[in-house]
Amino acid sequence: MKKKRLIFTLLHNNGGYMLSRNFRLQRVGDANWINKNYNFGKIAFSIDELVLLDVTRENRDQEKFIESYKKIIPNVFVPIAIGGGIRSYEDARNLFLNGADKVVINTLLYKKPEVINAISEEYGAQSIVASIDYVEEDGVFHCYVENGTEELPMHLEDYLHYVAQMPVGEIYLNSIKKDGTGFGYNMNTIPFVDSIDLPIIMAGGAGNESHFIEAIQASDNIDAVATANLFNFIGNALPNSRKALMEQTGKFAKFK
Amino acid sequence: MKPLVIVDYGMGNIYSVQSALRYIGIESVYTNDSSIILEADHILLPGVGSFHVAMDNIRRLNLDKILSEAVMTKRIPIMGICLGMQLLGKSSTENGFTEGLGFFDGKCEKFESSVDLRVPHVGFNDVTIPANTRLYNDIEDHSDFYFVHSYRMVTEVTDGIAYCDYGGRFVASFEKDNVMGTQFHPEKSQRNGLTLLQNFANTK
Repeated sequence: MKKKRLIFTLLHNNGGYMLSRNFRLQRVGDANWINKNYNFGKIAFSIDELVLLDVTRENRDQEKFIESYKKIIPNVFVPIAIGGGIRSYEDARNLFLNGADKVVINTLLYKKPEVINAISEEYGAQSIVASIDYVEEDGVFHCYVENGTEELPMHLEDYLHYVAQMPVGEIYLNSIKKDGTGFGYNMNTIPFVDSIDLPIIMAGGAGNESHFIEAIQASDNIDAVATANLFNFIGNALPNSRKALMEQTGKFAKFK
Repeated sequence: MKPLVIVDYGMGNIYSVQSALRYIGIESVYTNDSSIILEADHILLPGVGSFHVAMDNIRRLNLDKILSEAVMTKRIPIMGICLGMQLLGKSSTENGFTEGLGFFDGKCEKFESSVDLRVPHVGFNDVTIPANTRLYNDIEDHSDFYFVHSYRMVTEVTDGIAYCDYGGRFVASFEKDNVMGTQFHPEKSQRNGLTLLQNFANTK
């Protein structure tokens, strides 16, 4: 049986790694801090996939991002999805040449869909993670691009269907309003999740293992649960969460 | 111990394979130099992409002859990973019929996609381990490994075959004398994969 995934997301900003709450960033430490103080080498053995996102907003520098994450990924032995700020086919290609198994794409899905086609032709649709940021207000799901700063003229249900007909392998569905809160995922999205034919990565809001379990059990279409919260899952919290997911759902990989 | 030789035919993304080998203390060289390949203790054949293009590259570099001498005559242990494993087989139907290196009696065919079966097969899936295995020494039966592929190998051989199930049983790995291959990516499969790479490096 193919397994579900627990994903850890690291947010990079100008050489540092960040906590994000509602897309407001707070610096935690650099790559050395992630390795040494955070003991990422150990935590990485409890995840099924790593997502690395460059959320730098001004003077974004892909080479600096690559230089930083290359201090972390040599000790990570799961698939790695990398993105944030991909503006062209060349940006994506450069990440594939530097350790990416998949690329994570957000703004280009809406603004330059032809780039998605080009990446898919060379690397395959399974190597593209489509990232969608949304905010729920009074039952309406607004979608955003450009780091949550630019609203799209489509609501989530329509945007999901728009993205699902593109050559992408899965969707990283991130709630800006739940981001970093630890209050749990936005489970109001489940009807939308159930209506499309692509695996969904739930993101934004996980605070403890019960939130992961709740999402995995809510829909067969939820293929993965993600957290970017460096502090809610510190120490043994992530290994323990994975153990709980394995025991309570039976749908996670068996590792040594 | 000599460094493990990773065969360069212009199609492997070997960054993570080399990271994994380094992590378990194994040095490696990435080359298509015949003198280095023929003197190797262990050969790794990586690969991502199209079977047809890969075989064209291999023939253009004369690596089919070099690998044949290394593997069939000199009996140097070789392990293919993903596409590299498929290339060790007899053939693939990818982009029409293409002959492989033919060191192992298996052939590759596309998964038949259906409503219930998403292709490619991407993700962690569990593997049924064979009896008398060297690759899975110290790895429990039904451990999970990371797969990403649209074509899968089938074979009449039963000895030394690990199976995975995805819309039917296919070859997850084979080991026959000095010829081995894994459809999955050990370098992306946590300690299960690191142990397997170590086991391969321990074969004689």
